[in-house]
Amino acid sequence: MDELDLLKKDWQKTSYVDNKQLTSVDIYPMLHKKSSSIVKTLFYISIAELVFWVILNTIPYFASDEYRAELETMFHGSTWILIFTIFSYAVILLFVYLLFKSYKDISVTDNVRKLMKNILKTRKVIKYYVLYNLIMAFLSISYGMYESATNDPEVSAQFAEFSDKQMFVAMLFMIVGAGLFIGLIWIFYRLIYGILLKKLNRNYNELKKLEV
Amino acid sequence: MTLDKTLEHNFVELLEKHQNIVHKVCRLYTNNQDAHNDLFQEITIQLWKAYPKFRGDAKFSTWMYRVGLNTAITLYRKSKRKIKTQEFEAVSFKIKAEPYDDTEEQQLKLLYQAVKQLNDIEKALVFLYLEDKNYSEISETLGITEVNARVKMNRVKKKLRTILNP
Repeated sequence: MDELDLLKKDWQKTSYVDNKQLTSVDIYPMLHKKSSSIVKTLFYISIAELVFWVILNTIPYFASDEYRAELETMFHGSTWILIFTIFSYAVILLFVYLLFKSYKDISVTDNVRKLMKNILKTRKVIKYYVLYNLIMAFLSISYGMYESATNDPEVSAQFAEFSDKQMFVAMLFMIVGAGLFIGLIWIFYRLIYGILLKKLNRNYNELKKLEV
Repeated sequence: MTLDKTLEHNFVELLEKHQNIVHKVCRLYTNNQDAHNDLFQEITIQLWKAYPKFRGDAKFSTWMYRVGLNTAITLYRKSKRKIKTQEFEAVSFKIKAEPYDDTEEQQLKLLYQAVKQLNDIEKALVFLYLEDKNYSEISETLGITEVNARVKMNRVKKKLRTILNP
């Protein structure tokens, strides 16, 4: 006989023993316990990430008059800054919408594959949001450094003493430094999600492998 | 009784009646009593959260298979929450009395151990097969085609044979 058929025969005769069966008295309190599902964890992480980047982008601007004044002299109240600010908020709103939509799509009553696909889709939205912020951070740091090198009297005076070669090396150092810093944050994110979603990715790939 | 209370009451009654399905999922996916209780708790939460959308046109038990497996395979993360364990201390299943057969007993023990070594998806296939679901139901629950469900099931059988006779 097929091994599994032997197991099936036994499995169907087996039931959780009567005196260990839960009664409604045991079940009622279970309904009000907190879930520890991966979707909930992902949800909190995505909210934390949204808030983190919004705070990082806005707090220094509103918290310090000095910083604001410095920024304004640096960019001479350019319309580019206004366009850039509107653009950043539009992007945040777009991500909030996409995140909300992808969470709404997650349903525990979907089939196994679809559920996993939808969770991974949510994770992708967060990934792109983080990536967007890191690219923006890199561009802002580089541009900020360039601006202060050309417009800040103190810094530009110092740079004026540099030879072309020294100037090139200084710029290179700054850009590579900013790139490394951002790269490290990116690796950190990959690691967190890698650990968190290891099981999910493995199981999703197992199902996907079948379709090839 | 308010509408919410009626819903809760109906749900608890149904879960109490069909709890064996959840226990069996837990049995396959966990290795000790604490983990069994914890997974049971999480499946109950997920079932309860989804219950308002449960439409009577699907059988409650069929619906439970899906939510139970989804929770075990995808949603469940080991939690640190404290579970009341005095109600059921040991994972114990009983088999209806039949003439005792030592070799069959031994073979079954090895089979259960072999199934435990399968990966999450393979366990799901075996679980649905043991529960006497046909390939159309298996493919619908997992979200793969019927042909692929059959192919995968054959591979699982082969894998089990290799585990049993290395």
